[in-house]
Amino acid sequence: MNMEAPSAATTFFGMREDDQNEIKQQQSSISTSSAAPPIAPQKKKRNLPGTPNPDAEVIALSPKTLMATNRFICEVCNKGFQREQNLQLHRRGHNLPWKLKQKTTKEVKRKVYLCPEPTCVHHDASRALGDLTGIKKHYSRKHGEKKYKCEKCSKKYAVQSDWKAHSKTCGTREYRCDCGTLFSRRDSFITHRAFCDALAQESAMHPSSLSTIGSHLFGSNHMNLGLSSQISQLHDQNHPSGNMLRLGSAGGVKYEHLIPPSHPSSFSQPMPSPAFLIPDSNQGYHQEQIHQQGLLSSKPFHGLMQLPDLQTSSSNTPPSAAASLFNLGFFSASNNGNGITNSENTAANSNSTNHSGFLIPDQFSMGDQVGTGLSSLYNTSMEQESPAPPHMSATALLQKAAQMGSTTSNTSASLLKGLGNTSTAGSKPNFGRSYSGSCGGESLRPELENENHLQGLMNSFANGDSSIFGRGTEQNNSFGGYSGSQNSTKFGNREEGKLQQNFSLSIGGTDRMTLDFLGVGGGIVRNMGGGFSQREQQQDGMSSLEPKINSAQARHVFADPKLQ
Amino acid sequence: MFQDDGSSSVTSSAIQVFPMASLSPGFGSPYPWLKELKSEERGLYLIHLLLTCANHVATGSLENANLALDQISHLASPEGDTMQRIASYFTEALADRILKTWPGIYKALHSTRISLASEEILVRKMFFEFFPFLKVAFVITNQAIVEAMEGEKMVHIVDLNAAEPTQWRALLQDLSARPEGPPHLRITGVHQQKEVLDHMAHILIEEAEKLDIPFQFNPVVSKLENLVIEKLRVKTGEALAISSVLQLHSILASDGELQKKSPLTPKILNGVHLQRVLQMNQSTLGELLEKDGVNGYSTSNDSASSSPLSSVVSAKMDGFLNALWGLSPKVMVVAEQDSNHNGLTLMERLSESLYFYAALFDCLESALSRTSLERLKVEKMLFGEEIKNIIACEGAERKERHEKLEQWFRRLDLAGFGNVPLSYYSMLQARRLLQGYSCDGYNVKEENGCVVICWQDRALFSVSAWKCKR
Repeated sequence: MNMEAPSAATTFFGMREDDQNEIKQQQSSISTSSAAPPIAPQKKKRNLPGTPNPDAEVIALSPKTLMATNRFICEVCNKGFQREQNLQLHRRGHNLPWKLKQKTTKEVKRKVYLCPEPTCVHHDASRALGDLTGIKKHYSRKHGEKKYKCEKCSKKYAVQSDWKAHSKTCGTREYRCDCGTLFSRRDSFITHRAFCDALAQESAMHPSSLSTIGSHLFGSNHMNLGLSSQISQLHDQNHPSGNMLRLGSAGGVKYEHLIPPSHPSSFSQPMPSPAFLIPDSNQGYHQEQIHQQGLLSSKPFHGLMQLPDLQTSSSNTPPSAAASLFNLGFFSASNNGNGITNSENTAANSNSTNHSGFLIPDQFSMGDQVGTGLSSLYNTSMEQESPAPPHMSATALLQKAAQMGSTTSNTSASLLKGLGNTSTAGSKPNFGRSYSGSCGGESLRPELENENHLQGLMNSFANGDSSIFGRGTEQNNSFGGYSGSQNSTKFGNREEGKLQQNFSLSIGGTDRMTLDFLGVGGGIVRNMGGGFSQREQQQDGMSSLEPKINSAQARHVFADPKLQ
Repeated sequence: MFQDDGSSSVTSSAIQVFPMASLSPGFGSPYPWLKELKSEERGLYLIHLLLTCANHVATGSLENANLALDQISHLASPEGDTMQRIASYFTEALADRILKTWPGIYKALHSTRISLASEEILVRKMFFEFFPFLKVAFVITNQAIVEAMEGEKMVHIVDLNAAEPTQWRALLQDLSARPEGPPHLRITGVHQQKEVLDHMAHILIEEAEKLDIPFQFNPVVSKLENLVIEKLRVKTGEALAISSVLQLHSILASDGELQKKSPLTPKILNGVHLQRVLQMNQSTLGELLEKDGVNGYSTSNDSASSSPLSSVVSAKMDGFLNALWGLSPKVMVVAEQDSNHNGLTLMERLSESLYFYAALFDCLESALSRTSLERLKVEKMLFGEEIKNIIACEGAERKERHEKLEQWFRRLDLAGFGNVPLSYYSMLQARRLLQGYSCDGYNVKEENGCVVICWQDRALFSVSAWKCKR
């Protein structure tokens, strides 16, 4: 079994366990793993031919020397040789003094060769070619005369070996287009077909339409062939089935045949670790959008408001659509630094014109402020880079989704395992979990101060929360203070201290907590439960919020044992 | 821009349409950005979409479900990564469920379907091959039987799913090696297909002859739910062992439906069906009619629907277990999927099964290449069908009513069976077998004397041994 994916999986499984050790371990493993993979999984380009070793000896030969077939001439019989070694061996036959070069043990300095053609890219020393034969062939092919002609298809070649290679296959593989042209190479045939078909379509009167029918028939013949081969495949498959049925017939020992044959081949298959985070403005744009929708639509906030009591989530009613809606919002919001980063990029670039497109000012009065505030808020969380994690197993994804809150389950404990635990455990480990959960394997970096990172997250939450409060005011006077300030002040203009406060606020508000981070899943659950009056919950949220308002620092809030 | 979306008129709340509507129009189909999602993001998004879609299906907002399904179709693929594969089968199941609200269309679409019994058998073979679950279950079952049958001269084994002769070949060898000598052995195999039983009989008789064990094979061609207990021909004086591997849950079907029907049910017969068509939580009209017509359960609906315990109590299951109990087996070994796929609501079943099958798909991912045709077959023809059954079917049709071990524990206990803790040696053999599997994702856990086979730490299958309480 390959080692990467399972290890990633186990780190996620690790989260299920209650003890802190596990969490630490998991965190550390995430951070180590996240430090490792390269950030730029750019599409790998083929190496340009001729980008030589910089300290190689650059040799420029004249066209004449390059084209000379037999540079080494025997002084006796005038016979030419391509290589000096061969000439020396030849001299031996004339009883002339000869000397074979010995292989030198010391490293020979690498030589690279320039193309004598001044217009050629390989004329530049930086693109010199690595071997003499190569440069010779290059020069002939690209700048020389095509002396060798194929008798069958009249194709001309400059290098004899190319011509030989062609002659061997010429005619053996033929591609005949309906228009009558013959091709020896499949790629040229296909290129031609593209044109030919286009032409044929243009002139429907074209006589070749008949022959296309023919080719269709031909094609269907092929299909038949395909079918029969499928049938034979089926037979083949039945065959092994017989084997399977007989499985164990050889067994002499008790359980021997129950013990599986190990599949060495099947386990050796490497798990592709796909390029994960290529910041892509387009993608960011959309994420941004979702994000905003999530934040700005009014319904989802009900969902958020309902989040606080995880404990009451046992009711069985199916989830309302609002829950899933909210989900989406949060999904993208907590979709880790990546999404945020991307969106911020675009936001910054497009100067918030994007936002306005997606806001519904009529429906939601705060829209504007939040929208413009977003980019400035996110600025703080901008610095983080997101290294690519390895491929995640479906199980790990589900767990992550549950932690992010995009998974819903009302009764199943397993779904909420992570969340369930958090509601009973102390707030610190909770935090650790939620932290690593929502930041995931993506953005955790060892060198990043927790706090720093946190802040990024917090900000986004603060943002979300504040809008909740804002919303709250519209309905409920008890929100008074904050929401007032919320509505009147733009996020962007807010100075750091206020931001902090705002942030701690939102944390305090969520209280049972964790809630905001992990709790989203719980929130959805609650939404499913759906039985509560929202007003009550908001009140509830408020009252639990009160005592914590004073703590200006997020850390304090987290450390506060009362929070449990 | 989404305000103007026409689909919002379908639901009462424009917000409900929100996630879909916001994505569907305006960006030019088919959502070009979706294609740019990377594996993990795509996976997460798929999960989200699946749940959103299921929500819509559950609440009957088909327009929205349709939008979600459309989106998923751009991301999911039966040949992609694990989550893409899973999503494919879950969406298929959800779509199937929607389709079932129009029984006519549904039946028409499935009218020419060919079900190849041989293919199904083949796929089950692959399941046996690719996963250690059945092997572990067999090893433990056999060990429990050997231990329970110590010193017995006449042994009768009833296999409620006689599909795999390997298990009994192994047992024959075990028994032949007994210090007190092999017993007279009779194996009764229950299976739907005669060919399978014939094949099994052939192999086992041959093996018994080779080992010189007095042996008799008694084939019972029957579906488990229609099994006539007398056909098992259990005689007095013989020691009985019963083996049920992934079978018992199917007995929960049909009458498990009782709780699902609302008090409205009887009215349906009076033709109140148009609203019902959209009530996806309920079974479809066709099913209801069918069932109500066949077994006169409809009268008892109301009493059953209120009780929360009713999921444990199931008349048919009670009857079946009672019948088995009446045979007073010395040991009964039960292997079951250890996950609750018998929830009342679609959402419960969906989220639970999502986890369960995600783990199974992960197992396959670790063992087979993505291009493997065999893998595709197991996923499609075994797991895909199970998922479809769990998600799309209701009532008697819904056979895959997997439940957790504690549920079985309670149920079997109520039926008069006492748990027989599995021996240390059973555990040892199970562990050794998994070690030989050269894949460290699998492990076994002991739970109250039962064995739970896990992938990573996700419990997937449980094996437990029982005997009649006196």
